[in-house]
Amino acid sequence: MSLTNPPSSSGSLSRTRVGNLKRSLQATVDDAIESRRPGGYTSKVRVRDRYNIVGFISSGTYGRVYKAVGKNGKKGEFAIKKFKPDKEGETIQYTGLSQSAIREMALCTELSHANVVQLEEIILEDKCIFMVFEYTEHDLLQIIHHHTQPQRHAIPATMVRSIMFQLLNGLLYLHTNWVLHRDLKPANILVTSSGAIRIGDLGLARLFYKPLNSLFSGDKVVVTIWYRAPELLMGSRHYTPAVDMWAIGCIFAELLSLRPIFKGEEAKMDSKKTVPFQRNQMMKIVEILGLPRKESWPGLASMPEYSQLQSLVLHRQPSHFHRGSNLEGWYQSCLKNGGYTSTSGAGTPGADGFDLLSRMLEYDPSKRLTAEQALEHPYFTNGGAISGNCFEGIEGKYPHRRVTQDDNDIRTGSLPGTKRSGLPDDSLMRASKRLKE
Amino acid sequence: MAANYWASTQRRHWLFSREKLADIREGLREKDKVAHSQFPLPDQRLLNIYFNHQLIKLGKRMSTRQQAIATAQVYLKRFYTKNEIRQTSPYLVLTTAFYLACKMEECPQHIRFVVSEARGLWPEFITPDVAKLGECEFALISELSSQLIVHHPYRTLSELQTELSLTSDEVALAWSVINDHYLTDLPLLHPPHVIAIMAIIVAVVFKPTHPSTYPGTGQSALAGSMKEGGGMQMLAALSDKTGSCPPLKIQKLVGWLAESEVDIKAVIECTQELVSLYEVWEQYSEKNCKELLGRMVKSKNLDK
Repeated sequence: MSLTNPPSSSGSLSRTRVGNLKRSLQATVDDAIESRRPGGYTSKVRVRDRYNIVGFISSGTYGRVYKAVGKNGKKGEFAIKKFKPDKEGETIQYTGLSQSAIREMALCTELSHANVVQLEEIILEDKCIFMVFEYTEHDLLQIIHHHTQPQRHAIPATMVRSIMFQLLNGLLYLHTNWVLHRDLKPANILVTSSGAIRIGDLGLARLFYKPLNSLFSGDKVVVTIWYRAPELLMGSRHYTPAVDMWAIGCIFAELLSLRPIFKGEEAKMDSKKTVPFQRNQMMKIVEILGLPRKESWPGLASMPEYSQLQSLVLHRQPSHFHRGSNLEGWYQSCLKNGGYTSTSGAGTPGADGFDLLSRMLEYDPSKRLTAEQALEHPYFTNGGAISGNCFEGIEGKYPHRRVTQDDNDIRTGSLPGTKRSGLPDDSLMRASKRLKE
Repeated sequence: MAANYWASTQRRHWLFSREKLADIREGLREKDKVAHSQFPLPDQRLLNIYFNHQLIKLGKRMSTRQQAIATAQVYLKRFYTKNEIRQTSPYLVLTTAFYLACKMEECPQHIRFVVSEARGLWPEFITPDVAKLGECEFALISELSSQLIVHHPYRTLSELQTELSLTSDEVALAWSVINDHYLTDLPLLHPPHVIAIMAIIVAVVFKPTHPSTYPGTGQSALAGSMKEGGGMQMLAALSDKTGSCPPLKIQKLVGWLAESEVDIKAVIECTQELVSLYEVWEQYSEKNCKELLGRMVKSKNLDK
C-alpha cells in the first residue's frame, strides 16, 4: 500500500528534483544567506539562532518541512515549514509571496484551539518564509498505515471515537470562525504523542464570509480528489463548510475500514486549464451511495456538471445505478472485517456510527450534518466519556514520524506531502495574462 | 480569531490608547530628531488623505474594492507605528500595502501589474524591479508580525442595517463615514463596531438635507451639518438618555444603544475625531504633500 495520498488538486507536477542532493540539512536553511546591501530587508530573528534542524519530514510544491529542536534556551521539538521562493535563474529573487502562503500565515497567526495545529512563530529570512509549528509525532495517514502492517488490524473503536470527536471539535472552531479548511485528509490530521488531534495544513484554508470574489473564482480545484464533496465534483460555485464535513465523513470511513472509501482516479486538467468532470471519482461514490437524485437533492439539476452525470448513467450498466444506497452494506461488512464486536458497546461504532456516517456522507450539502450537529450525535453522546487522548487505554506504540537526514529521500515518496499545482494563484495567472495583452 | 474580534490579533496587538499612541510616535521622533526638523511633513491626517487618494488611483485600473483599500490603509498605519516614515519610501510602502491587502482580501493582483501601475503613477519613486516590492512585502509582513486579518466596520454596518431599519441613503452615508475614518487614527484607537455605530449615528442624526447630492467623501454637506453644532447636542443627549423628544428613528437608535451596552463615550469621541478631520481637511493640498514627501525621499535617497 502506498503511504502517499494523491496530491491535493491536480498533481500534474512531477516531484521537483533537488539540485544538490547531499547538502547538509542545516545548510538548506543557511545557504540562502548572501551579502546584504544596506537598507535591504533583514530579519530581526534568525532561524539558525533559535533552532537546530535535525531532519527532513516532507515536501510539496510550497517547499519543505523539517524537524527542529529549539536552542539557546528554547525548549521543545518543532516542525518548520519552509516556503521556497521562486527561482529566476540561479539567484533567488523576491517575487511576491503566493496568496496561499499569505493565507496560511495570517490564519495560523489568528487561530488558537486545542484541536488546530499550533503556530510557534513565523520567521521571514533570506527571501524564505519559515513557519514554525509545534512538532507532532503522528498523523492519521501514518496511523491508518500502521494498522495495515503486517496484516490488517482495526483501529480500536474508542480510539476512532476520540479521534472523530476531537477532529469535529477543531472543525467546529474553524467553521464558527468562518474558516473553511478545504483540504482535510488523513495526512493533514496531526496527532501528538499524547493523543491530541490537531488539524494541520491550512494552506488552502480561507475565510468564507463576504468574499470579494466568489469562492470559486480564486481556486478552481480544491480538496484532494478522494475527499472531494459531490457538489464540488458537480461543479458547484457556491460551496460551504459542508465540503469539509464530507471530507470528515470520508476520514471516518477510512478510520474504520483502513482504506479510502472513494478511491477514484483524478482526471487531469487539459491544456486549456479547464477543469474536467471527475467521472471516475463520481463513479466511486455512486457505487456505494447510489445515484444522487433530484428528489432528495433539489439543487442537483442546476449543477454545471449535471448533464455529465446523466451521460454517466446512460453509458453504464443501468442496473448498477438504479439501486439505492449500499452504504449500510458497506458499513456492516467493514465492521465484520474489522472484527468490531457486533454487540453494542465500547467495542464497536455500532448503529450510531452508521447513522453519523450516513449523515456526513449526505449528497445534498444543505442537508449534510454540520460540525456542531455531528458533535451532538448519539455516536458521541451515548456510550460514556470521550478521552482527549485518543491513545488512552491503547496498548502498543505507534512508530515515530520518519525523519530523514538527507534531502534526496524526497524522491522516494515514502512520506505524505501535499502537492499543489497551479492552485494558489490561478487568479494571478489571469492577471498576468491580462498584463501581457 | 478570524471572525471573532474579541480574540483577534487586532484587538490584542493593534489597539492603542491615545496616550500610548502618542508615546510611540514621540519615541520615533526622539530617535530621529534631525530628520524631523530637516523634513517637516504635513499633519498626519493630511498625509493620510494624500495616501488614500494615491491608493484609490492605484486601485482604479484594477477595479479594487473598497475593503482592500481600507485594509491597505490599516497596514500603513500599523507599519508606521513601528517605523519612522522619514526612513522609508512611502510610495513603495503604500504600493506594497496595497499589493498585500489585495491578496488578503481575496482580490489578488499580479506583482508585475501592481509595479507597472505604480510606476505609471509615480515614475520617480518606483523602480521597475519587482524584487523591490517583494522585499518590502517581507519587511511589511514582518513588522505586522504576520497579523494580516483586519476587522472592518463595514461588516457591522451591514449586520445592523436591518436591525435598525436604515434606509439605503443612510447606509451609503454611514459607509462613506467609515471610509473617512481611515484618514484618522481611529482604526488604531477603537474597535470596528464602535466605529460602525458612530457612522450610523452620524448618518441618522446629521443626515444632510439632500443626500442625493452627497459626493462620496464626507467633506461637504455632512461636515457642514456636523459643525452647526445642534447635532452635537443631540448626540450628547444620547448618553444621558433624557434628550427631549428627538425624532422617532433617533429614539429607536437611542433605545437600541442603551440595550447594546456600546461604549457611548467612545462613540462620541469618534464623532469628535471625525469633526476635527473635516476641519483639518480644509487645509489639504495635494501639491504640498507631494512636494514635502518628494523632497524627503529624494534627499535621503529612500527610493534606492
